[in-house]
Amino acid sequence: MMRALLLTSLLILISTLNSALAAPPDELEREADIVAALSQTTVEIRSNFAGADLILFGAIAGFQDGDDVAVVVRGPASDLRVMRKERSFGIWINRAPVRFEEVSGYYAVASTRPLKDMGTFSALRRNQIGRDHVRLNAPETQRRETRFGVRDVLVSDLGSEIVDYREALGRIKGRAGLYVETPGGVTILEGGLFQARLRLPPATPVGDYVADVYLFRAGQPIASRQIYLDVRKAGLERAIYDHAHNHPHLYGLICVLLAVFAGWAAAEIFRRR
Amino acid sequence: MQIYLPIAEISINIFLLLGLGAGVGFLSGIFGVGGGFLMTPLLIFIGIPPAVAVSTQANQVIASSASGALTHWRRQAIDIKMGLLLLIGGSLGSVLGVFLFTWLRTLGQIDLFVSLAYVALLSIIGGLMLVESVNALRKKFLGKGDDKANPRRKRRLIDRLPFKVRFARSGLYISVIPPLFMGFSVGALAAMLGIGGGFIMLPAMIYILRMPANVVVGTSLFQILFVTALTTYLQAAQNQTVDIVLALTLIVGGVIGAQFGARLGQRLPAEELRTGLALLVLGVGVKLAWDLGSEPSDMFEIIQTGVK
Repeated sequence: MMRALLLTSLLILISTLNSALAAPPDELEREADIVAALSQTTVEIRSNFAGADLILFGAIAGFQDGDDVAVVVRGPASDLRVMRKERSFGIWINRAPVRFEEVSGYYAVASTRPLKDMGTFSALRRNQIGRDHVRLNAPETQRRETRFGVRDVLVSDLGSEIVDYREALGRIKGRAGLYVETPGGVTILEGGLFQARLRLPPATPVGDYVADVYLFRAGQPIASRQIYLDVRKAGLERAIYDHAHNHPHLYGLICVLLAVFAGWAAAEIFRRR
Repeated sequence: MQIYLPIAEISINIFLLLGLGAGVGFLSGIFGVGGGFLMTPLLIFIGIPPAVAVSTQANQVIASSASGALTHWRRQAIDIKMGLLLLIGGSLGSVLGVFLFTWLRTLGQIDLFVSLAYVALLSIIGGLMLVESVNALRKKFLGKGDDKANPRRKRRLIDRLPFKVRFARSGLYISVIPPLFMGFSVGALAAMLGIGGGFIMLPAMIYILRMPANVVVGTSLFQILFVTALTTYLQAAQNQTVDIVLALTLIVGGVIGAQFGARLGQRLPAEELRTGLALLVLGVGVKLAWDLGSEPSDMFEIIQTGVK
């Protein structure tokens, strides 16, 4: 069923792609073009949510042998702090906080091959493809200076230590399944059809997600396509969350009353026996 | 089967939560304590954010203390006057505690504070209880029945404090300052650690206030009920960290576990029971102390600052 659906959608995609490419023959000839879609555009988090598996599928017009595909999915950004543990008086204490701005709550890369084999360092860095290439801004620790006559050089007060902080961020988020890199996660089927599997872990943050699909040829991305995904709480979970944030006083009272009621009920039930 | 917790924002196996509730409820039923000091570290261990664990734990303690207080109310084993005094102190303490909690959380030091406070509390209380119950056991087995405890009460500092009031139910005539102060400190700790504070309050009532044993548990539950209710309300209003789904799941497990525990507890002799509780308290303290001093598995930690 799922497979059949996928195939029909793919066929529709290809036909639209072909007509789109066929229409303007005189225009600047593009080497390749991508169409892509997700198996679902909205992920609803309900009470039984245990993560979700998504399939991103699509087609590439002008696909050549040796081309590679990378899919990058980014979740909603928020500020966070990373602290280093240091030993003092025999115990480990969180010290030296570094604040990072606008860090993606979810970051996943799937690709046909290991990233460093398919793209040049600068191409990967420029498009922020790969866990090592995610741009992490720590505004308090960096400033712009003129160095060796070059203006606006970004300098970090932390020096090489910033690398440890960046690695820690990826590592800790990685443990929760929130920062993942899966070489081989994209399969090219035939004739430029491809599909990628994405895994949203149980700790997936809610918000707007963006998926970027890149086509790599000779180490450079030559085409890209952006699609959107919405992860949101639904049903009772959403109602509870909204209630807790919009009417915190009422919510607190309800929590207290429910617990008192539960305690009273327990005392009554077990007294009879 | 996974259940998604809307405030903690993670999904956790529902049977794990029910099992935790039942296990801690079982122990608290045996020993007659709330079990918050066990539950909060366990919740943090399974991945609930510490802020949510502490606030939600307070919500769960409401249920267990409500059912306990009700039972004692029927037996008229509550000193309402003393309870109200402890409650006044406790309410002020709880307000301070919630504010301190918020402040430490923004500093990123809440975990350290919670662990340190637990280690200090659990080792002091556990140690005192162990010494006490081992002495009681020795007396029991060696049959040294002749040494009468406190033939004449010594006049202590507490007896010299002003504002004395008569507490009919407890048969005491003491100053209002110690109960107010005790209520305040336990209230503040309870708010910051997500515990009812029974395991601090009970020894304090017995050894400092010298209340009779038959009203101690009821009175402590009475004040815990109201202080945790206030804490839950304040945490929900200020930090939005009370997860009602998590709380109700734990309550269901806890109620069942507590009933079995209470039945087993009635069959066990009191001295052995107290020794067991002392060992349990000390054990948790030692484990937390060990974690503080041992090499962390990751030298870095992420602290979420932006409110989503």
